[in-house]
Formats: sequence, structure tokens, C-alpha cells
Amino acid sequence: MANFMVESCVKFACSCGILNPLSKLYFCRHCLKIRCGFCLCHEVDVRFCSNCLENIPSSEARLNKSRCNSCFDCPCCHHTLSIRATSAQVARKSGEETPKEGDAADPSKVLTKKSYYLACLACRWSSRDVGIPDQISAKGAWPENEYVYQSRFQSILEYYQNVVIQNKQEKQEMMRRKTLKAHKFPSLTDRTGLNVSMIRRQIGWPDKNTPKITKATVTPSKALEKFDELPEKMFTEKLNLRNVTTIEQRHGQPAHQPFTVNKLYPQRKNLCIKRSLRCRQCEHNVIKPEYHPGSIKYRIQLFAAYHVPDVWLVSCEKPLKAGVLCQAVLKLSNPTIHDMTITIMDLPTQDEEYEMMEDLKKSFEKNFTSLITSSSTALSTSSFSRQTSITEDPRLVSKKTTADMKMLESSFILNHRDDSAEFDELAENPTVKDEHKFIVSRKSNKVSLKVNFTPNGDLVAGDEVIIGFTMQYTYINTVSNTPDKKEPQQHALTSRVYINMGRIPE
Amino acid sequence: MDVPDLKIYPKALVCEESNIKGDVIVSAGCVIHPHCNINAENGSIIFGENCIVEEYATISNKNKSPGNYEILYIGCNNVFEVGCTVEALKIGDKNVFEAKSIVSNEVEISNGCIIGAGCRLEGKQTLLENTVIYGNDCLQREALEKQGSQILQIDYLRKLLPNYHHLRKSNYDPKKIRSAV
Repeated sequence: MANFMVESCVKFACSCGILNPLSKLYFCRHCLKIRCGFCLCHEVDVRFCSNCLENIPSSEARLNKSRCNSCFDCPCCHHTLSIRATSAQVARKSGEETPKEGDAADPSKVLTKKSYYLACLACRWSSRDVGIPDQISAKGAWPENEYVYQSRFQSILEYYQNVVIQNKQEKQEMMRRKTLKAHKFPSLTDRTGLNVSMIRRQIGWPDKNTPKITKATVTPSKALEKFDELPEKMFTEKLNLRNVTTIEQRHGQPAHQPFTVNKLYPQRKNLCIKRSLRCRQCEHNVIKPEYHPGSIKYRIQLFAAYHVPDVWLVSCEKPLKAGVLCQAVLKLSNPTIHDMTITIMDLPTQDEEYEMMEDLKKSFEKNFTSLITSSSTALSTSSFSRQTSITEDPRLVSKKTTADMKMLESSFILNHRDDSAEFDELAENPTVKDEHKFIVSRKSNKVSLKVNFTPNGDLVAGDEVIIGFTMQYTYINTVSNTPDKKEPQQHALTSRVYINMGRIPE
Repeated sequence: MDVPDLKIYPKALVCEESNIKGDVIVSAGCVIHPHCNINAENGSIIFGENCIVEEYATISNKNKSPGNYEILYIGCNNVFEVGCTVEALKIGDKNVFEAKSIVSNEVEISNGCIIGAGCRLEGKQTLLENTVIYGNDCLQREALEKQGSQILQIDYLRKLLPNYHHLRKSNYDPKKIRSAV
């Protein structure tokens, strides 16, 4: 996973045609296909605060605008604020001495009063800087700052919530009328052809089911024609940049957007989420984290790097020249515990690629319609409706190969991963009797290959040389979908690999 | 290792493993950790009272050009944290140089400043009082709140360090010299 942060030169094509490094891809064990982030359904599992690691239910999170109740971010540098305690010794006032006679006898006694304030350890900002009084309790009721347009936003929010409700009701009304007509046979509950609302309407009573919404009205905003002139001192006085907030600081407080640093108030910390990812095609989970916010483990983790052989570019003959045969060394590694047979093949042609896209689209449509029909009744009744699968349109791979790669003459075996072999120094590599010529070396589950390629003749200096191939590998599926087949099944899977070999030098 | 020009006032704590070169005066109450580098070969360095110089801190006097102060004056209550590099012209009181910060020559530091961890300060400038430098981009802000004192830390080090390190003896006592005169 060395290439997790840096741009990798080896990219794998997802079934939708988007290129990604292997570390960003997932592998659906049920479809046996590589999936990228767009081909997966993202669902929020857990909301939690990254500082106090408290699990916050979704309703509470919505109420608090997805912010933690107890943790704060520094308004100055956006680090987490920490609560500091100070103890100040306060001389006991004469008035307080009266309730306890015993204490009053000792006038020298002083009260130690603990008070708490917020401080940033990164930029040394503290809540005392902006004049927020120290709190008596650690969890302190820190003052919630009111912002100028709070009521305005509230009224706009209410208005639009009403609009949404109204739209929903109208839609329901429409649906009801439509479905009534659609029925060929009268339902048992509707034998008279009348339902409650129709009877009510005939009598002249108001409809009970649809309480009229009180229409909230908002005064629309108006654009101003005239502005106040800028004050004179704006031009004459020297600006002290230390007192002016930066753009980042202002964006940190979107409701306020303070101009001066003395109006920076601690911001409640944004919540984090844990996502579970679901394959859009088969609806199986691909990634499922553990619910506990403190845990970084997964219950289901189908990262492609655990299933698909990884490819590295080890070395490449330099300089690359257009139209001249070049040699490069690739390294393949097998992450699974079964031996793989690997065949390097040509990339699909454009027509084949279109065909693949069509197949994918069809399979999605089929899936989608079956989903709709099977769950339409359930969907209409329950308030829970699954996120409709918005599928990523399959596309052609954006990278075009700019070199002609000579395919390897035969397939070869990639040994399985053996964690214990790494510690066993004496263990000899199982020597393959007739090793292919293109194999440079073998070590545990890795194989180094020699590949030959010719950059296209029409490349000019500065152009990227990209080679591509289809890697077919055998994959042994240990979890079978069907209960009758107990033994693991072997599949031959393919993935398209694109490698950027570098640029043609100037 | 004997440094002839090193003057240690009484009550100062200088570890033997510290790497001190040239003419250095360590005032009372200072704590100099092992493996810090104090280089006064180009001009003397004078530490004020109650300074802390932590491990791998590098303080050097590079005030060579004419017109500058020849001596690097370091005020009282300064803290040089682990791995900082300070070559400033002049340092006032109550400053903190956090871990791995770099202050190059030509910088004059007043009082109550904090150079954040990993921040670089370069080019000719004078830091105003109570400046805090923080973050990746070395942003500046003014601390309105006074920073806490380092006395507790000094007291703790004063107890702890002699248990594990050899110390240099104080070799300079202004009172004694005065009485001798």
C-alpha cells in the first residue's frame, strides 16, 4: 500500500470504465467484479465525534446540525480545542461565612475555585481571548452565539419545509386518484365504491386526512440599490492585518463571517461518519465497518487489494523513444491464499468495450426493474425507502494506450501468499522446472516479468507512454452463493490494467 | 569537556553532555539539557534567568555583520523546545520556540512570542510582542491572553535532571567576586 497517498502509475479500470489505483478499488465477491467508489452505494452507518468518540444517533445529529455537543474546534486554526482548568483562590466573602460557624472561626481560609476555559494547543488561542467568561463545570454551558440572520434563516427553512410537505401531499393525492382508476377489480374494503374521504366530501365536511397546511409566507429578499459609502478611515488608517480574520477563518464560521479576530468564537466540532458500501448491482455489502466509533476495524472489507493481483512497475528502460522497442520489468503479487494462473492478454477493442458497456447497462436495468417490482409494495407502505440506485454510466476508458505491448507467449502461475514464509529464511523457493523466459525472478507470492513494448511512432517529446493489457487471473471463491455447491469454485476473472511508463524526453 | 569561557551562575543547571562552544553566560535558574548545541564561537551568548534549553536545540550566534549586536542577548523565561534551531539577533523575555521550529538570522524577537512547532521564520524582521506563529503556513496572530509561566516546569526539571545526568558546576558567582574586590 505504498501508493496510497501518491499518484500511482499503475491503474486498474473499474467495470464502469473509470481508472483508479488498486488501493482505491473494491471487489464485489458476489459479482466477482472490481468496483470503484461510483459503482457502490454509500450509506451512512454511524455518526460520531472524532474527538470524544461518542456515537450520536441520526436524529440527534440532525437536531444539532451534525455537530458535537461537547467538543469545539479552534476558530483560528481549526484544531480541536482542549478544556483547561485553572484554580483561582478566592477570598471568602463575609456574607458567606454566616451559615457555618466552624469555618467562620478561621478567617484566613480561602476558597479554591476551579474554573475552565477552552484553549488551542496549536495556535494558543483561548476562549479568554474573545472575552468568553470561564465556566464553573468542565462540560460548561458555553454561550451559544446568536447570529444576525438567525430568524431570517429560520423562517426561510420553515417556508421550504412547508413547500416540501405540500408537494408531497399533492403527489400522494395524484397517486391515489391514479391508482383508483387503475384498479380493474373492486377491492374488498371498497365494495360500495365509496371511501371515507369521498363520503365526507359528499356530505360537505372537510377532508379529514389532509389537514390544511398553514401557508408560511416569507418576505422575499430585495436587492439594494444604494449602499453606504465606505467610511473615510478605511482609506486613511493603516490596516493591522493581525486583527483581520483570514478567509479560512471566516469560512469556518459561515453564519458570522467575522471581520475582526475578536469575534472568533469556538465552533462546535463537525461530526464524522462511518460509511458502509454496497454493490449497486447485487446489493451485497462490500465494506461494512464496525459500529463502535473507537474501532477502526471492518466487519466486511472487500478491498480489491485483497483479491486482485497487484501490479508494480519496477523499472523501465530509459530513455523512451517513439517507435523503438523498449523493455520494462513489472512485478505482480498474489494477495490470496490460492495459487493463481495469470494470462496477459490484449485490451478489448473499442467495439468490445462498447459491448461491455451495453451488457453492463442491461444488467443494471434488469436488476433495477426486478428490484422495483419486488419491493414496490413494501416501498409504498414503509416510510423507509432505499436509496434509489443512481448508477454511474459506464464509459470508455479515458486513457488511451500510446504504446504497443508485446503479449507474453504463455500464461504463468503466481504462487499464493504465505505469511509464514517471510519468517522462514531457509525455505527455498519452489523452483518451477521450465521457467518461462519472460520471468525475471520469483519470490514467495511475487513474480517479476520482463515485458516489451514499442511506443507509438507518432509520439512527440513530452507525450506520455501508456501501455495497457488485460490481466486474466484465476480466482477461487471460497464463499459460494449457492448452498448446494460446497466446494470452492474457480473463476477466470479479468481486469484491465494501464501503466504509465513515463514521458518521451525532450 | 572543558569550556574555558563558559560562565555558570549559581542555581543554574547545565548538563555535562550539553554541547557548548565559545563564550556563554548562563544566568541563575536556567536549565540546559544534555545534547543541546550552543554555539558562541562567533560572539558570546548570554542567557537570562530561568531559560530552558531542551535536547537537540541549537542556538548559535551569527551576529557577525557590523552594526549588529555582537552579543546574542537572550532574555528571561525563554523556552527552547526539542530540536529547534535559533539564530536570532536578539531575544526578549518569555518566548517559546516550539519543537523543530527554525528562526534564522536577521530576526529580532521581542517578548511573549511563540514560534509554533515546525514553523520557519526567515528574512529581516522584528516580531512584535505576543506574536504567535502557528500552522503549516506560519500564520501570525497576536495572543491577547498572557502565556502561563514555566516556573513549574523548571522546578520539576531541577528535581529530576540531577538524578540522571552529570552536571557542570557553577563557576561564577557575582557576589563572591564583588566581595573579593
